[in-house]
Amino acid sequence: MCAFRNLSLRNKRRTELPRYGLRGVLASAALAACCVPPVLAQTDQQCSLATEGEQALERMLLAAGSIIFEGTVLYEREGSRQFLTVTRADALGMGELRRMNAQANPRAESWPAPIRSRERVCDVAAAYVPNVEVGRVVAGRATDRLTLRPRDTLRLAHIIDLDSSSGLPLAMVTVGPDGQMLERYEYAAIDYHDRTAGDVVPESGVTGENRYKRGRAVIPGYFVMSEDPDRGIFVVSDGLATASVFVEPLPSGAPAGEGAVIEGATLTYTRGVPSSNGGLLISVLGEVPVVTARLLADAVRASRSGS
Amino acid sequence: MTSTDRDTEALSALMDGEAQELELRRALDAIDRDPALRSRWQRQHRVSAAIQNQRLDDPAVDVSRGVREALEAKPRVDRNPLWSMAVAASVTLAVVMGGQQLMSPANQVQPFVAVSELSGAVVPVSGAQPVQASLGVRSLPVETRQAMPSPSSNANTAAVYERLARDRYTRLNGRHATVAAQSHPAPYISYVRIPEPQPEE
Repeated sequence: MCAFRNLSLRNKRRTELPRYGLRGVLASAALAACCVPPVLAQTDQQCSLATEGEQALERMLLAAGSIIFEGTVLYEREGSRQFLTVTRADALGMGELRRMNAQANPRAESWPAPIRSRERVCDVAAAYVPNVEVGRVVAGRATDRLTLRPRDTLRLAHIIDLDSSSGLPLAMVTVGPDGQMLERYEYAAIDYHDRTAGDVVPESGVTGENRYKRGRAVIPGYFVMSEDPDRGIFVVSDGLATASVFVEPLPSGAPAGEGAVIEGATLTYTRGVPSSNGGLLISVLGEVPVVTARLLADAVRASRSGS
Repeated sequence: MTSTDRDTEALSALMDGEAQELELRRALDAIDRDPALRSRWQRQHRVSAAIQNQRLDDPAVDVSRGVREALEAKPRVDRNPLWSMAVAASVTLAVVMGGQQLMSPANQVQPFVAVSELSGAVVPVSGAQPVQASLGVRSLPVETRQAMPSPSSNANTAAVYERLARDRYTRLNGRHATVAAQSHPAPYISYVRIPEPQPEE
């Protein structure tokens, strides 16, 4: 088995039933937490969101989750452009997405309602510096420009144009470590709809609160969101960026090494760690810089075998 | 403008890497002559070091000596602005490199920690530099940290892991998109990142 673990969990119970032939290989693997500075390891659900930037961030992450709308979106990364129609028909349910230049009569794909959690807002505010200024007009609507600048080198930067009235992010650019645009989207048109009587959204704005269950910090600012130790799958997030870590047996004969590919903002990083009992192949997928993927791979530790 | 003003200006130009050769020589001569100017030179280096999060452990270090040596090592080519610029640039490099070396003795300086105390795990890597987006899955150079026996085997290993990364991207991106949507301000963008699902036959 393998597990995201921190130092306090070193002797935690180990479960059985490795899959994909992981027994004997992953039975001895664990994912250790790096030393996490207190400022990023702990954020408070009651954090103070005092600045205009923090309040704009809160507005985006809380208020935007309850809006009913339909719109047309342009999504771009280098050499790729997609036009989408996006619909959210009820405040609590799934949305729909259609890719308009992929095929005739495109089928609908579902997407989940955004998580609305004040704890998440605090996590994001702890990892990024939010600044707000007057934005441009997007889809015929006035916006506020929210810039999320990472507080360290472990995440990407985002420039977001929020609808000044609704808080919905109408345009967003994701920027790499050197200021290079990785991907962007922008609404061409959007229509808002009133909620029906059935669309009850709590005034406290905590819809989806129960979905934001973060665990321990593994690397600075990144928390375990879910883990399946038996299958070697872990998900970490800083509240905004997400990385998935997959651990599997190293293919036979593969040397020690590492490699990475990038598409848009999504990095895929692999590292092979040979060992006497076959070794591990660690894959990290996420909208994160390479240094973050490496740290996450570093966090995979081999513990005492067979125990 | 007084002679002192000229010297001060030349010193500033030198610190900014904009000094022409004549200004440079004048500044160095002035530093030799004038203790106040010499003190200013050292003070500016301390400020520069502080800006770069370095620590100047020995304020008495004579960076100007390294500059002069670099200057003397260059053949003099008068009245050619391009050569002057080249000399100025090389001297600037000598200032920066020499200054960093002299100002940062290995056994005294506490390294600048960019992120946190991570037992050395956070290191500058080439892959963390500019990242090009592309239509297809694109290779990202990752400076390997393992000691490799030869460049060819190093390249082979890199190719093996690039292939593995492409394969894992194809296989696992859908699963990742599902969880990444939970955190994205516009959740549908995570789904758009994965290729269009093929219609069922």
